[in-house]
Amino acid sequence: MSTDLKGWLPVDAVVVDGRPGLWWMEMADVSLTEPFFQQTVERAKMGRSKRSELFTEFEVLLQLEKELESVSPTGFIFHSSRCGSTLVANACREIQNSIVLSEPNAVDKLIARFFTDAQDGGVKESVYSVFLRGVVHALGQRRSGSEQHLFIKFACTSFAQLERITRIWPRVPWLFLYRDPVETIVSNVTDPPTWLLDEDWRVLASITGATPGEVAAMSLEERCARSIGSFYSHAVALANDKSMLLNYNQLSVPVISSVLEFFKVSPSARETEAIARASGVYAKEVSGTRQFVADAEAKQKLASPLVRKMAVRWANKPYQRLEKKRK
Amino acid sequence: MNLQPGKHVVVTDFDGGEGILVDLNTKKYYQLNETAMIVWKGLEKGKTMTEIVADITATYEVAPDKATVSVQRIVDNFQTYKLVGAP
Repeated sequence: MSTDLKGWLPVDAVVVDGRPGLWWMEMADVSLTEPFFQQTVERAKMGRSKRSELFTEFEVLLQLEKELESVSPTGFIFHSSRCGSTLVANACREIQNSIVLSEPNAVDKLIARFFTDAQDGGVKESVYSVFLRGVVHALGQRRSGSEQHLFIKFACTSFAQLERITRIWPRVPWLFLYRDPVETIVSNVTDPPTWLLDEDWRVLASITGATPGEVAAMSLEERCARSIGSFYSHAVALANDKSMLLNYNQLSVPVISSVLEFFKVSPSARETEAIARASGVYAKEVSGTRQFVADAEAKQKLASPLVRKMAVRWANKPYQRLEKKRK
Repeated sequence: MNLQPGKHVVVTDFDGGEGILVDLNTKKYYQLNETAMIVWKGLEKGKTMTEIVADITATYEVAPDKATVSVQRIVDNFQTYKLVGAP
């Protein structure tokens, strides 16, 4: 098994010729500066002469865990979608010697396997857990040698697999960021993300407790409301002394600093200044130039009767329980 | 015993003592419980059956004769699945 993959990162989980595995790209000189990992991958592809890429099966991860020096996870960021998690991830990126993995495909697609392929535990669940640990190890490898912190922001759907994730990393503190249901649904139906449109409905079926056929037939509003309602309930059930609950309406530089301290990282004055600057720009913009505007009021005004009906039916009660738990 | 793990097999720890073995030839995965992991690690270190049994009895409250039966059964399974072989 060839394992000379220092400086290579798994950029996607794919199936090639019927074989599931990982797509790797040589990224030794690429810093992960974009708000999302896949944006960095796109930049790397557009840069200098063509980068080397290759496919391996998952097994290579087991050997790499023994050979590659890597940073252990410092903190996990989970969220209920469109609630400021990218802002928090960007703040983590301002900490010197940190690696921030923001929704890398390889991580979230492996987690999706827990929904679609390993629901009943047993060997498959353990195998995918080992692969997930291996992918994070590979992504968190010390490429410059000075890296000290590793923050991982997961896709919102991955929160439903929190128990399995924390079984792999039981000591890693985790943040759950969420937002008012109406505002979250408005944001998602205005600009629908992939997770709400994915044609493999098994993931959302598992999250919402419906069948894949029922999920396919739902309006976007209902699909979103039921999903975020499930995320809120999950957070209520699983929050513990390793977790921090944070509402979008609390976000501020001091609060973000408190998140970092919860992750056992103390930002310097210079880093805090950089976080303040980063917080002033729109979090998902690659260029980092579009100004951030708090839009809770605007989102509330945009809410249709259907959005409000679905929020009441599926999300408001768990949201209130979560708020109570947070306070 | 004179057996050692095959070069085509990769092992990794998981979940506090358990482990996963991958046979790279067959692409089959095997989940090992804590006892089986102790046996596997013993074989990796070239330990004898007696030494592995001693590891088991030092870790768990189990009589040596029962531990011997258990270790032998695990080693037989490793052989059946061609995960170990002669050095």
